Amino acid sequence: MITNKAYMAFGLLLAGLVVLGLAGDRFLLYISMRIMILAIFALGFDILFGRTGLLSFGHGAFYAGGAYGVALCYMHLAKDPLLCLLAGVLLATGLALVIGFFCVRHTEIYFAMLTLAFGMMVFSLIWNLREITGGDDGLVGVGRQAINLGLFKIPLRKESEFYFLVLAFFTGAIWVAHRIRTSPFGLILAGIRENDRRTEFAGVNIRNYRLAAFVISGAMAGLAGGLGVLLESNATPHISHWSHSSDPVLVGLIGGLNTLAGPLVGSLVFVGLKELVMRFTTYWMLFFGVVLLIILLGFRGGVVGTLVQRLAGRREVRS
Amino acid sequence: MSKKGMNRRQFVKAGLMTAAAAALGPAVLKPTSLWAAESKVKGPIKLGYQTVLSGTLAGYGEFHKMGAIMAMEEINTAGGIAGNKLEIEFRDSTLKAPDAIQNARYFVDSWGADFLAGIDSSGQALALAPVMAELDRVLMVTHAATEKLTEEQVFKNGVKQIFRIVTPTYQDGNAAAFVAKDLPVKTWATINPKYEYGFTCWNMFKETLSALKKDVTFTAESWAPFGTTDFRSHINTIMDAKPEGLYSVEWAGELITMVKQGIQAGLFNQVKHVMFPVGAAMDVLEGLGAEMPDNIWISGRYYFLYPNDKSNNDWVERFHKRWQHYPAYVSEGAYSTMYAFKKAVEAAGSKETKAVVGALEGMTLDSPAGKRVFRKEDHQAMYDVPWGLTVSNPKYPFKIMGKQVMVPAKDCFARPPFEGPGTKPPFKA
Repeated sequence: MITNKAYMAFGLLLAGLVVLGLAGDRFLLYISMRIMILAIFALGFDILFGRTGLLSFGHGAFYAGGAYGVALCYMHLAKDPLLCLLAGVLLATGLALVIGFFCVRHTEIYFAMLTLAFGMMVFSLIWNLREITGGDDGLVGVGRQAINLGLFKIPLRKESEFYFLVLAFFTGAIWVAHRIRTSPFGLILAGIRENDRRTEFAGVNIRNYRLAAFVISGAMAGLAGGLGVLLESNATPHISHWSHSSDPVLVGLIGGLNTLAGPLVGSLVFVGLKELVMRFTTYWMLFFGVVLLIILLGFRGGVVGTLVQRLAGRREVRS
Repeated sequence: MSKKGMNRRQFVKAGLMTAAAAALGPAVLKPTSLWAAESKVKGPIKLGYQTVLSGTLAGYGEFHKMGAIMAMEEINTAGGIAGNKLEIEFRDSTLKAPDAIQNARYFVDSWGADFLAGIDSSGQALALAPVMAELDRVLMVTHAATEKLTEEQVFKNGVKQIFRIVTPTYQDGNAAAFVAKDLPVKTWATINPKYEYGFTCWNMFKETLSALKKDVTFTAESWAPFGTTDFRSHINTIMDAKPEGLYSVEWAGELITMVKQGIQAGLFNQVKHVMFPVGAAMDVLEGLGAEMPDNIWISGRYYFLYPNDKSNNDWVERFHKRWQHYPAYVSEGAYSTMYAFKKAVEAAGSKETKAVVGALEGMTLDSPAGKRVFRKEDHQAMYDVPWGLTVSNPKYPFKIMGKQVMVPAKDCFARPPFEGPGTKPPFKA
């Protein structure tokens, strides 16, 4: 019953997003796309953080991998957006494989510090490889060409057109996260989080599983980065900075860890709240920080976690 | 019909009289408001301004705001732009490109801005170029200095919506070279920011100076990452190389830190000729106060005592009275931006982007910094800013320019088409 309700809720969400895409104005579409892209980033991140229990502070590197992959592909190889996205995701995946290989040997704070160090390494590489990455000016002028399907073309230039590509990937990301959560693979990840020693004694090579979770989340970060470049038409080094790596951490904490809806709600609150606060004051950081504090302290386990607990609590009383 | 009250005819007459008086009154009293009666431009003129208002450079944003708000107050008191009130909304640009894009989209699509202005970082300015073309609103850049913005985005890619009211890197690189050629210095070194701005300015300085003077060499480079707080290793590198001249486009808090640490290390005793292209920025002058060494070459995008004429001096006085600060170059840029839009809208008789772009191209603007001309090809404002040697003055609690040297913009700004011979200074007379 619960799963049916959940399916219905996601069905309604998608229907609502389609309607929004057809009827929303340009700014609403833009903000919605930013929320969906952040949600893809956070959904992938939750597989590692919420599910497997590994807190990374370096996922901006993979986001940047995807972003610079798309931008470089567009400038030097091919202009087809799907091809560029593929290049971006591949670059991010490769990067995640290499960095993950070294990081998953450790856990907890050691893991977090290692990912932070690798992330900042990627940041300084991007900053300093000026011939390739454009230094701090970044890569500018990534356009959105139409997707060529032989018989007909799908234009993406306008916000209202690109929106549906983002929505498609957003849906795909939710599906992937859902599949992982309901699979034996996902169960093992949860087992590693709860008690890695016991899981290891069950004959599971936990390092490989951790690496797999790391790479999947890195690939999804890359996808988000690639879509972000197509949306903003540029890639700048700050997206690989630790301050950007902390976005999905905050989103996870706001929304709720190890839930499917958590990253979605968290992204909505994170982007929407900032936009709202900025409308009232130019000194938005203070107010944004205070509201975040209230949410983090008031909704322990995130917005979604708290709501689920409330509902579960009521059900217990009833039964 | 009652005798006490007005009858209908009287009422209509009175109403018409009142309306006529309302329409004519201000026009008779104040000629500037003639627009109110016949303006085709409708509604308030809305301008979205974004600048950095958080983090270590937030002080720059405050200086932007002072200039913009003061211009808005003056313009609205004097009858507005073509009879319409000017409204400004400010947003924190945070120096990150995605935030700048979100702000621009909010301003235009959600708030309904007619014009945009501001932008401190070059990366943000470049990232905004395609967005401005899509949103089709004029963006007046008031700080970001990269020459790529005007050379590549405006001139080459045809993003006609972007203009820049302040001097670009030409002032920092080329003009400095013209000053340096007359100094008795054969070896130059640099401590520069380790990002595009630093690299670009140093290269420009080297190329132009080499073309102007044959026997100069560039002996040491030390690159300081963004956010450097300890310059001692950089200072030591330079002092070990024993150059005769030091060039640095470090700016804001980092320049202040570098100078203070340089004094401790005896840098200014050893290197006699020092050039700070953004050293005349008000935050640096005020920040260093009396500590700024004498006889340092400084410049900026505007220097508050130049031109030494009535219009500028009056403005500086008004500014100081309003804010208890002397104007920073970004304040002057923000202030003049409002008047540039006023003049362009009134000349075009419209606030439509195409008409305003047309009016701005080639437009001459009398501003505190002197006469500005917006070059038609690349939308860069051409105006002159002096270079000068620091000196104490009892009137000010900080160092000002003593001896001044002027390198006119027409001599040191690269010229369209920006590629090929004759486009980069020095130009043949």
